[in-house]
Amino acid sequence: MESFSDDSDAGLPPADYAILCDFLRERTGLSFTEAKRYFVDRRVAARMAAVGARDIRDYMNLLRFQASGEELQRLVNVMTVNETYFFREKYQFDCLVNAALDEVVRGRPPGSRVRIWSAGCSTGEEAYSIAIMLLEHWRRVDDFEIELHASDIDSTVLERAQAGIYEERSLQGLPAHLRAKYFQKVGSAPDRWQIMEELRDSIEFSRVNITDPQQVRAFRGIDVIFCRNLLIYFDDIGRREAASMFHDALAPNGFVCLGHSESMSRMSSLFVPRRFPDAILYQKPAGGTAP
Amino acid sequence: MALVKAKKNTTTPSEPGPAADPAANPSTGPHTGLTDADPAARRQAARALAQSPAPGAVPALAGRLVVEDDPGVREAILTALVRIGTGEAAAALLPLLDREDAGLRNAVLESVQQMPAAAAAPAVLPLLDHPDSDLRIFAVQLLGAMSHPERLGWLSGVVERDAHVNVCLAAAEALAETGDPAALPSLERLALRFPGDPMVGFSVDAARRRFQGG
Ligand SMILES: C[S@@+](CC[C@H](N)C(=O)[O-])C[C@H]1O[C@@H](n2cnc3c(N)ncnc32)[C@H](O)[C@@H]1O
Repeated sequence: MESFSDDSDAGLPPADYAILCDFLRERTGLSFTEAKRYFVDRRVAARMAAVGARDIRDYMNLLRFQASGEELQRLVNVMTVNETYFFREKYQFDCLVNAALDEVVRGRPPGSRVRIWSAGCSTGEEAYSIAIMLLEHWRRVDDFEIELHASDIDSTVLERAQAGIYEERSLQGLPAHLRAKYFQKVGSAPDRWQIMEELRDSIEFSRVNITDPQQVRAFRGIDVIFCRNLLIYFDDIGRREAASMFHDALAPNGFVCLGHSESMSRMSSLFVPRRFPDAILYQKPAGGTAP
Repeated sequence: MALVKAKKNTTTPSEPGPAADPAANPSTGPHTGLTDADPAARRQAARALAQSPAPGAVPALAGRLVVEDDPGVREAILTALVRIGTGEAAAALLPLLDREDAGLRNAVLESVQQMPAAAAAPAVLPLLDHPDSDLRIFAVQLLGAMSHPERLGWLSGVVERDAHVNVCLAAAEALAETGDPAALPSLERLALRFPGDPMVGFSVDAARRRFQGG
């Protein structure tokens, strides 16, 4: 579509659009095609106006060379899709507590660590859902020391995740008794609930770009990685690179859990699909290689 | 409570700054890292080369791939070459198609397919003249999967000229998959070139029906 409703929305010329999208892909893994113009143009125009950039070149220079990286972070924050809610695709959490974790801890002495990582946690619902599922349903939860890591590339959603305040829309999938048990109403607001401090404090939130090898390198020996509804925004090679980095981050026999429409077999031969009663997870073989 | 915070300095990531510059990395350059005894260092070296390819990166990666037996490092090298995505990178991968190791061959096919067609096609085309018909079949499969404006012409050339019926069949299948009726005349000529071959007859019939039906 060439025409836009008003001048402030006038899109970037195709060549500039391509340069910007290449840059974003390189820095974030997010792949924007011409078909995503409706999404990209407006957001970039708003950011350019906010910083007073004269033209796209001016703005690209800021993105590339600003020492603090602040504007790049701001742009990233508006370019991500952060849709999420409690107990989304709950069957995967069922799979975690009914089968996968028992396999992970087999042969491990009580008291040892179990590491779970929500990569692309958005506003935190996924990580808190995991925490609640563990406390409610994993019968061996008290036998192990469980580390829950949650990370995202978007700094705004991380702040919200840490604050842990949610509205009805996000809480709908959560049974009432669990809301009563783990949340408190915020002040007199009719529709705002905060997750209890103990849970907020038990999750390690950090800003991590999963396409940056240096950043992902900090994650090692992870037992289960949740990376759901994130790789759908990447292109094929980006997905493959992410799969390769998850392979590094996992302990032998560790699992990756992807969104329901995503399949590792299209991204990587390094993993073996494992069909559990509740869900399919992808496992890093103990010897490092898929048979 | 059974949920605990990570011990600092174990798996907790340090606060990341803006995208790190791999070129500004440790004591050893990425090229030398490719032969490090530690697979993690080799993977890291491959990724660093993908992020900012230095001169000589492609031969270094391809050279390592040939001897590498750690699957994680292999994958990191392959993805690095796909990311570099130049004709040189495609040309460096293609010779591996005649390896015994089927896993490696498939990985190479998949990797070349993920490269930009404009860069990869010129590297693949010479394989159509390779004396080994298996390699010509790989070339046909690769070209067939590319979205390149000249794809139809290349595949038609194969069905009209290649001496080996299996290569022609692979090209006929790829042509049928394009769904482009312009492929039909070459397919008809293929039927004339191998009049007694039931597979050819079957495949040309199927293509005819497909084009006429759709
Ligand atoms: C649609 S949300 C999914 C949230 C949650 N995993 C779920 O399934 O409900 C995708 C999240 O991935 C994050 N994301 C996108 N690219 C990323 C990257 N390169 N590194 C880390 N997070 C990224 C976005 O900021 C966004 O919060």
